[in-house]
Parts: sequence; C-alpha cells; structure tokens
Amino acid sequence: MDLPNTLDLSTAPVVRGAYDELREGAGLRPHWQALDGCLHRLGAQGMALRYEQARRLIRENGVTYNVYGDASGLDRPWQLDPLPLMLPAAEWDVLARGISQRARLLDAVIADVYGPQRLLKEGHLDPAMIYAHPAFLRSCHGIVPPGGRWLHVYAADVMRGADGTWRVLSDRTQAPAGAGYALENRIVLSRSFSDGYRQCGVQRLAGFFIAMRRTLSNLAAGLRIRRDNPRIVLLTPGPYNETYFEHAYLARYLGYTLVEGGDLTVRDDQVFLKTLGGLHRVDVIVRRLDDNFCDSLELLNESTLGVAGLAAVARAGNVVIANALGSAVGENAALMPILPQLCRLLQGEELSLPSVETIWGGNDAEGLRKRFDDLVIRPAFGSVRAAACLGGELKGPERESILTRLRLSPHLLVGQRALAPSITPVWSEGNFAARSLVMRVFAVATDDGFQVMPGGLARIATENQPWAVSFQRGGGSKDVWVLSDGPVAPVTLLRPSGAPVEFKRGGIDLPSRVADHLYWLGRYCARADDAARVLRAALTRLAGDQDAGVDQGLQAAVRVLKHQGVLRKPAEDGATLEAQLLDLLFSDTNSASLRSVVGRLHYAAFSSRDRLSYDTWRIVNHLEQDLRPEVKPERAVDALPLLDRLVLDFAALAGMATENTTRGPGWRFLDLGRRLERATFTAELVRAALVPRLDDSVLDTVLEIADSAITYRARYLLSLQVPPVIDLLLCDGTNPRAMAFQLERVAEHVGYLPRAAQALPTPAERLALGAHTWVRLVDPQELSREDESGERSHLAHVLDHLSSDLTLLSDTVTTQYLSHATTTRQPSVGPGE
Amino acid sequence: MTRYRVSHVTTYCYGEPVTVSHNVLHLAPINTPRQRVESFTLNITPAPAVQHQRVDYFGNRVDFFTVQDQHTELIVRAESVLEVEPAFALDARITEAWEVVRDHLFHPNGDEEVRASEFRYDSPLVPTGPDYAAYALVSFTPNRPLLDAALDLVRRIHVDFIYDPKATAVTTTVPEVFVKRRGVCQDFAHVGIACLRSIGLASRYISGYLETAPPPGQIKLVGVDASHAWLSLWCPGIGWVGLDPTNDCLASHRHLIVAVGRDFTDISPTKGVILGGGTHEVSAVVDVARI
Repeated sequence: MDLPNTLDLSTAPVVRGAYDELREGAGLRPHWQALDGCLHRLGAQGMALRYEQARRLIRENGVTYNVYGDASGLDRPWQLDPLPLMLPAAEWDVLARGISQRARLLDAVIADVYGPQRLLKEGHLDPAMIYAHPAFLRSCHGIVPPGGRWLHVYAADVMRGADGTWRVLSDRTQAPAGAGYALENRIVLSRSFSDGYRQCGVQRLAGFFIAMRRTLSNLAAGLRIRRDNPRIVLLTPGPYNETYFEHAYLARYLGYTLVEGGDLTVRDDQVFLKTLGGLHRVDVIVRRLDDNFCDSLELLNESTLGVAGLAAVARAGNVVIANALGSAVGENAALMPILPQLCRLLQGEELSLPSVETIWGGNDAEGLRKRFDDLVIRPAFGSVRAAACLGGELKGPERESILTRLRLSPHLLVGQRALAPSITPVWSEGNFAARSLVMRVFAVATDDGFQVMPGGLARIATENQPWAVSFQRGGGSKDVWVLSDGPVAPVTLLRPSGAPVEFKRGGIDLPSRVADHLYWLGRYCARADDAARVLRAALTRLAGDQDAGVDQGLQAAVRVLKHQGVLRKPAEDGATLEAQLLDLLFSDTNSASLRSVVGRLHYAAFSSRDRLSYDTWRIVNHLEQDLRPEVKPERAVDALPLLDRLVLDFAALAGMATENTTRGPGWRFLDLGRRLERATFTAELVRAALVPRLDDSVLDTVLEIADSAITYRARYLLSLQVPPVIDLLLCDGTNPRAMAFQLERVAEHVGYLPRAAQALPTPAERLALGAHTWVRLVDPQELSREDESGERSHLAHVLDHLSSDLTLLSDTVTTQYLSHATTTRQPSVGPGE
Repeated sequence: MTRYRVSHVTTYCYGEPVTVSHNVLHLAPINTPRQRVESFTLNITPAPAVQHQRVDYFGNRVDFFTVQDQHTELIVRAESVLEVEPAFALDARITEAWEVVRDHLFHPNGDEEVRASEFRYDSPLVPTGPDYAAYALVSFTPNRPLLDAALDLVRRIHVDFIYDPKATAVTTTVPEVFVKRRGVCQDFAHVGIACLRSIGLASRYISGYLETAPPPGQIKLVGVDASHAWLSLWCPGIGWVGLDPTNDCLASHRHLIVAVGRDFTDISPTKGVILGGGTHEVSAVVDVARI
C-alpha cells in the first residue's frame, strides 16, 4: 500500500452540524494533542502495522460477537478501531458523577417498586410505568436482596448532541453487557499501541473490576449462612448468546466459575453447583441471563436456561444475585421524562446527567402523535435491542401497526428526539474518516456509592444514525482513553493483593458440563488427527499414482475410511475417488468430514473456553481458518500441504494438553477422550488393513497412518512383516500410538476420577484394567495366523472384544460422570379438564 | 350461608424416577368479603424436604415444596372447608357509563383505583389488541352502563365460543382461542379479560371451583367436579364483580374462589419443575360437597 509517511489528525474530515470530539474551532482540542504527537511519529505505515497487529490479536484471542441468524456461524470477529476516543479528566469526572447519581437513583426506584411502592401510592409514578412493564416480576415483590441492593452493575448508553452535552439514550439495569469487551479492547490496544498508551497517561480500568469483586465478596459475607471463601459463579445463557465471548472472558478475568443454568440446582432453599466431586453451595450468581429466564418454576415457565427454584432461594436470602431478580424494570424509557423530579424527591439533588428528550405515550400521547415523524419511536419498556427508527421512516403496514398501538396502548411507546451524535475520527482503509459515536459507560456499586469505570465501550455507526448504532447491525467499537490529571497508578487484577491466600491444588470444582465438553474436545482432537492422517496417506498415493485400483496402500487407507463408515461407497476410478476424498476434507453435509469434526472440536472448545489457555485458542482458531470452504483445493496434490499443516496443528494441540495443562480432573477428561478415541481408531485401522489377506505393502501405509514407521524401521530395518506390526500397534506399551499405551492411560485416568469412598474398583476401572491386561498378554504371532479362508479371524475376534469394551467404557464414564438429567416441567391440569 | 368441603387431589405418575421436584401450589382458597375459609389442609406424599407458604403479590396463599427423595409417584391432597354468603342482588343498569370507568383507570386516583388499574394491562397469557377491542365494542356501545355491557359481552362469548376440552391445552394462547372459537373455561375467561382490557377496563382471572348440581332426581356423584375459572371486572362503588362466560352468569355463592391474578400463569393451581421423570401422567380429582 502506498501511504503518506506522516500522520496528522488535523487532516481528519470535518462534519458540520455535529459536535466534533477532535476539534475546537480550527485547532485540535488539547486532550488529543498527545495522541496526535504519537501518530506523527508513527506515520501511516506504522499505523497500518499496528492496526494489523490489533486485528491479529483479536482474531487469535477469539474475541467474537455472535450475530443472531448470521450464516457465517457462531462467531464474528470483533471490530476494534485502532484510534481511541480521547476524553479529558475534568470532563470525564462530570460525566462519571452523573452516571453514578443515576445508578443510585434507579436503584432507589427499583427498591421502592419491589418494596413499599410509595412512589406509586403517592402518585409520583404513573401506575402504567410499572404495571405495564413486562419485566415487573410480581413474584419478586417483597424480596429484599442481601444488603438491600438491587443494582450491582449499571450501564448507560450516552451520546452528545451539537451542544456538547452528554445525554443518556438508555439505561441498562439487569445484566449490562460490554464491560468485558471494553476490557479486551483496552488490552488489545494497549499492547498493539503501547507507546501511545504510555505517553498519553491513560486511566486504568482494573480498579472497576477490583471494586466489583470486593462488592460481591462483601455481599456474600452478609448472607445468612456465612463462609470464608464464598463461591461466585457467572451464569451465562450459553455459547449461542451474542455476548458469550464476554461471559467466558470475564469469568476467567474475575476468577469466577462460568456456569449454565443446567450446572446449578436448588436443594434445601440453597443453590448448588453440580461438579464432578458432588454438589457445592453457591453464594453469589453474577447473571447474564434475563430476569424472566432465571427461574422456570416461578418466572417464565418455558425457560430452560435458568435454575428452577432460584426465586425461592433469593426470597430465603440464601444467594446474592447480581443484579437482583426484577431489576430490569429500571430499563424503562417512560421514567426518563420524570427522572429530574424523582431525583429531587429521592436524592434531594438535581439530576446532573440529562436524558435525551423523551416523550412517553402514557403521559403525552397527543404530543407523541404530533411529532411522530421527527422522533425516534421505541418501545417504552425493556429491550432496546428491538428495532427503533424515525417515525417518519416508518411506512405502510408497519406504520399503521405502530399508530394503532399508539391509539390503543400509548403507554407502550416513547418518542426520543433524534440528535446528531458527536463525530470522532476513525481509521479506515489507511486513512482517517469521521463517524458518529455512542458510548456505553459502566458503574459498579461500592460501599460509598457507585464507582464508574474510567473508560467504556464506544460504538461507532456505519452510517450517521445514532439510533442504529448496534453491534447486531454492524459498526465497530473503540476504546475510550480517559486522561489522567496526575501519574497513573498501576492497578491490575492480575497482580496478587497483599492478603494471604489459601493454597489450592487440583480442584474437583469442575462442573460436569465442562468435563463433558473437555472429554469431547479430547475425542474430536484425536478423531481429527486420525482422519487427517488417513486422508494424507490416501491422497499422497493418489497424487503419485493415478491407477487407484492397483495401489494396495491406497486401498488400505480407503478400507479404513469405509470401515469407519466415513466413505460408504468408495469409487473405483482415481478421479472420482480423488473428488470423494477432497469432499471428506471440506464437506459441510458429511458429518464425518474433517471440516465437520473440526467444527465440533471448535464448539467443544468454545463451550469450555474459560478453561483453555489463549494459546490453545489460537491453535483452534487456526484450524477453523485452514478449513474455510473458500480454500478448498481442486486436486489431491494441492491438498497435501494443507494436511501437513493440519497434522502439525493437531500435534500442537496435543502438546498444549501435555505440557501446558494442570493435571486436574479437567485434563483427565480431555486426555481420557483422546485416549479412548485413539484406541477405537487403532482397532479400526488394524481391522481394516490386517484382518483380510492383503499384500504386505499395506503395512507401510498402516505404519505411516499410525505414525510408527520410524520406530518400526529402527527396529526391523526393511523387513515388513505382520507380527511385529501387530506388536507395535497393539501390544507395545512404549509406543504412544499403540493400543496398549492408550489403555494404560485410560486405566490411570479412571482410577483418579472422583468416586464414593470404597475400596473396590468402579465398573469403568474394571473395564479399563481388563482391556489393558488383555492387549498386553496377547501373542502377536498367534494374532497373525491366517485361517483356511485366508483371514486373520483370531485377530478379528480380539479386536471385536476390544471395540465393544471401549464403547462400554465410554458409556460407563458418560453415565457416571457426564450425564445431565434434564429438568422438565411438571405436567399440569387446567381448569375444566 | 352455605358450607362446603372441597377436596382436590392431584396425582403424578412417572415412567422414570424423579430425583428432585420443585412445586408451587395455589390450592388454598382466599378469604373474601363473601367467603370465609374455615380450614385448609395439605398432604403431600412423599414427604417434602422443604415446604413453606407465603402470601403472594395478589394476596393469595402460595404453598411451595420440594421433594428430594427419589420417587415415581407424587400425590398432592388439598382439602378446604369454607362458608360462602349469597351474592348481593346487582342492578346492572344503574352502574356508571363504561367510558367513565375507563377514563378513571387511565388516570387512577387513590390506592384502590391505582391497584385496580394494574389489571388493565397485558399479562403473560393475555395480550390486548384491536381485534379484541372490536369484539368488545359490539357490547360496549356509547354510554352503556358498565355491568350491563359486560354481561352482554359474557353472553356473546358463551354463544360464540364452543365448549370443547379437546380443542385446547393449558398452554393455548388467547389469539388461538379467539380464532378457533373453541376452548374451556380458562380460555373463555382469558378471552373475556382480553376484550375488557383492550378497551381500557380492569379485569382479573379467578381460579376456583363450581358446585355442580346433579341431574334432577339423581344423587351427585363424587369426583365429577373440576376446578373452574372465570373472570372479574372492576366496578367502581361495588368492587370486583365475578362473571362466568362459560355459564353465562354472574358468579354466585356456588363459585368458590381459590385465587385471583392477571391470568392463569399467576395462579396455576399446581406448577412444578422436575429432574428426571421420563414420560409422565397426571390426573386431578376434585370434589365439592355441601356440608
């Protein structure tokens, strides 16, 4: 790319009619000057380099945002602009005070709604503001959460119009998303743009998360049943949620266990985490699940994401739920017009941070109708995720339906003044561009009021429509750099605090669901590796010799695929077979294709990602990248480099598991999965190639697939014979690819798994020990003997036994440790039935 | 004054063992100005590990229990004894014009009106909408006395909708019932509530029992009764007036009230979530006897 080698922020485009974050009059605002200096030194090429680096970090860290209904699958890479939004300390302090006051105010309103309802009784709130709100949960009325606190984390979307005043567009009171993305943005940008970050004197974000941890631990200490070491979990709806990345990321950063509803259960009016080692009491639930979904017993009946009986536990005061159940009632645009009065009434002070001018239909339906075309029309209650657009842009039946709603249920709608949001420079294709921006700001409750994160998540529009700034619709994000007045104190959660810690080793705290995902991750890693090796062996031979019918090695590989049920009807001629094999690499429709297996591997890794290291993630992401459908090769010879690379990646994954994973139960399940899968595959391989009488040249292929060729040659030089091959693949416990080796590991793992205190071996142990002893005792000479028909029926018999033992072993482990009995609704009898 | 003994037995049979069962019951009748509960007993087998009761948001008694022992059958027996006074004679024609009541509910004044206004908004099972409003407005002609119009609405639902237990299930939505024109008492109550709320009036869902009279000359059989559902309408000056679209009548002393809420979801007589269980069957036997 041909780029000018100097960079000057003053060359960024000017947009009239909106507040310019960058300029004041003709010059730059003072708080951008330090950044401008850095950009000068960096130059355009330097900037392009940093941008690439940031993008790579994001890709490799697997930062994603799921888009509902996106054909490209679960995760879309996160978009981060390399230019931060700069804000001076003095201006920030004013905004932060406003945010903190607003959080306090909404907390007080929610407390009243779920308690005495004085505001309703005395007419300060219109009843429709609460009664018509779908998130006013009647069954949560009367619950006083621990510490009398409803909001633990609050967020507001703010923007500023042409006058430069920050205004609130919407409030987030139930489970605000984005703090984790803000943190990840900061980590990526401070790394890829480290010189700029240091020189500008930017306030740190870690203090916010430290405060969050302190608040939650303090609240846990206030529970009726106190414990020194409270267990805190982060409750996620699961990998299909749009912000799942953030849930896993925050859980790991804060040191909390990431759980899904199915991991928790209610007994004796308390919440427990289901782990391999049994049930463990949970003290605090940080929830990223909507109110209604949290309890299928008392809240939304259809929900399968929550924990049945949770509301009753909250009522008994035995758990802290952050934010408290029902707090979504604060996501209430109808309140916006009266917040100034409420603030005077409840806080005895003026509201310092205004809302965007809002008309609520329940109060002024006529005003809303009159200005309909010029206002942004939105639902008054709950999710702002729902579409919002200018009344004037609504056409046809959609307009009719909203107007009917305005006539019949005006209280369900608000109209907000459409302000042109402020403009900030962004980096776009090697140049500066100007985009409008909305910023999400976060506050966390502490003992002295709400503490605001110095920074936030700025979102930039693809077009200049503030009400269209949404990650669901595209657009990128920005880090927000709040400058410090003085030196920046280095705070980080990653540094140990002074307090003495209790030493821990091992850990049976592993949720059974996570163990399940790790087990399958292990299986899929081995399965993908084996598949890649078989395909490589076959394609190598195809690429060399087009006469597919003759090559015994190729036939052996194809037989393996056929035996596994992967390739049902192998073609006779080379060209068709080549197409079939290439299809086995990339097919989306064949569930046994390498791409499908890697897809499942990715899902299993994704679902347990809070347990995996960044480096492991990087490899998993490479795999996905390598098998993109658009890079599908046309010929066998072109597929070989790809397969070589994949085999290396699989080896790297295995290496991460051996060298970089603590030997806890999580690792045991990961390795157990790998070993059982490999043992099963080895049995298939030997069966396909050695049970029928084939040319001895197949032995070469078999050894290659089993990665044992070097060992064989070192021992037996060039003499290829069946008995030593069988010994090497089945009985030799020193060969890490041999059946005996897998079974030895399996026996060790099942011996370590949690169990009731008893001396006798578990059923899984019996099976594993039995199979292991058997392969060690068989005689390879005996197994190599052919019967009258020329088949090695004795070998077949042994392999049959081993295969069925392996299946039984897998089933036994699954039932004993990994099965999740599902909750269902009790059937009910309606009246009149 | 009439005295009743009501027994309501719910039996669940499971194909596979249930390890944990959480349940919420709305089976204990409430006291009202015309109804006094003498006694209520609840008997659950197997014995629950956790059991408590509370008064819910709407003033109903809720019983909550958890069975933590493995079981394949669960029996919930509820028995109440209560006294009911006959209803006052109401002259529907002298109630206020319905529009006046609607406007009051739109800007409610005082605690009572504010609380009544809670029942004019959408609830989980009962949406409002132009279709229900149009259906209601046939009865609610300009300036018509509120109760007079409401009785006409109830009569029309009784005529237009066919009682058909096979047509719907507990989860059937109001829009479905409104199109099918078929259902059971719960559905008719929901439709009536949707119509009243869609024109700005306040209406509650009532779950309870109806004393059924045996055919002339025969002895009443035990167990022919079922739980019943109807609705009530807020009438300023009178209070909540019970209306039964299934039987086209005002609620009488034979309508025994168990609980009131916005719709079925608030006060389902039994509701539970179980772990395990496989395929399951449930049956409920209700008996209402005069004593």
